[in-house]
Amino acid sequence: MRLSASQISKHFGHRAIVKNANLTINSGEVVVIFGPNGAGKTTFIKILATLLRPTSGELDIEGIDGITDYAKVRHKLGVIIHDHLAYPTLSAFENLKFFGQMSGIEYLETRCESLLNEVGLQRFVHEPLHIFSRGMTQRFMIARALLHNPSILLLDEPFSGLDAAAKQFVQKRIAQERENGKGILITTHNTELGHLVGTRFLFMINGDLEEIAEKEEISEEDLLQRYEERIIDTA
Amino acid sequence: MKALRQIATLIRKDIGLQFRSKETLALIFVFSILVVLIFAFAFGPNFPLEKSERGKLTASVLWAAFVFAGIITLNRSFVIERTHGALHGIRLTGVDASNVYLSKVISNLVFLLLLEIVITPIALQFFDLFDDITVVVLLKLVGVMSIGTLGFCAVGVLLAGMSTSTDGGESLLSVILLPLVIPIIMGGTKCTVSILVTGGLENRFWLGLLIGSSLVFLASAYLLADAVIEE
Repeated sequence: MRLSASQISKHFGHRAIVKNANLTINSGEVVVIFGPNGAGKTTFIKILATLLRPTSGELDIEGIDGITDYAKVRHKLGVIIHDHLAYPTLSAFENLKFFGQMSGIEYLETRCESLLNEVGLQRFVHEPLHIFSRGMTQRFMIARALLHNPSILLLDEPFSGLDAAAKQFVQKRIAQERENGKGILITTHNTELGHLVGTRFLFMINGDLEEIAEKEEISEEDLLQRYEERIIDTA
Repeated sequence: MKALRQIATLIRKDIGLQFRSKETLALIFVFSILVVLIFAFAFGPNFPLEKSERGKLTASVLWAAFVFAGIITLNRSFVIERTHGALHGIRLTGVDASNVYLSKVISNLVFLLLLEIVITPIALQFFDLFDDITVVVLLKLVGVMSIGTLGFCAVGVLLAGMSTSTDGGESLLSVILLPLVIPIIMGGTKCTVSILVTGGLENRFWLGLLIGSSLVFLASAYLLADAVIEE
């Protein structure tokens, strides 16, 4: 098991954003959490990424306590959230090089160049991030998340704002990383893409995380129908 | 070794980013020169004949300029980290928060010392003290300013880390930082006056206060860095 979160809750003031959420991510598994805006998906993924401390609950990342020993587990995580997690005035290459140096990666320059080639940014290696389109930024974020070859990927809305080609690229990359044995968590409200890349599905609505089905147990149409029903029920 | 490498990488990145945009550098240099000019116009063109009066005036102008330019520098150095979540990116590399803190203290110290090296001779010239300054006196001045700036950055980096994570953080930093650094401003100003007027440090109490408060701030802020950067 790559990651296990149990009874995770997060309160901001009196408001509960995440309520007693339980989740496991295994090797070679793509867990997809569907939820509308404001459901608590980003907060939950930030907690799993050790960027936000939960109000209560336990987080185990490959046998290490992710809440108390967060510095020891972070190199196991590749994270995409809404922020760039990088410096907009530095080029894609400079950003990767800086974060690679911080992580102590060997043969860094070669690694940065090959990753930027893989994500299709070879023509923009030395361009600053602030000129990048949404799709290019997302490609850079994927390179940044994979830089240190993490065993767990936590991807918050990886398809949002992407054109068809970029969506296909992200989808292929997720499948490739899954085959490499990584444990992957994705949050999205796109049931079509979620069903396509995922192996297990959950809903998060109003902070409640609910296990739905394995991929083979549910069709995309049924998934969409259940998702819409759940949203209408709670509206 | 790993910690030293990470601190060096962070400092290189901070200095590189600041010199690339030159935004902060231009801002603090223009601001400090303006402060010197305003005081020079207000008190000039005939400055007090007594060297002691001119020394007090120069010391107060210099420290006022450095403190407010320092607040700008501290704010900017954390705004760069927070705007696009780069600080989260740094945290995800597994670096110790105390290493991030130390690198910020050192890079801000470098910027402010650079400012002080340029602004001090300009102020001395404007207030008719430049001819009285020997190399030894200049070195003593640099020493006092370095200690004061270190203490200022030690507590300032910690508070800037807190304030920039809130709305209206820029004004909040001034409000919470200035009362805390009073011992440093008092010690630094008194030592600077003494050096400019007599060429030495007559009253060791102020130097003790300056060094003592700087070290206490550095040690306590280092211990608190994890709580500020991780929360």
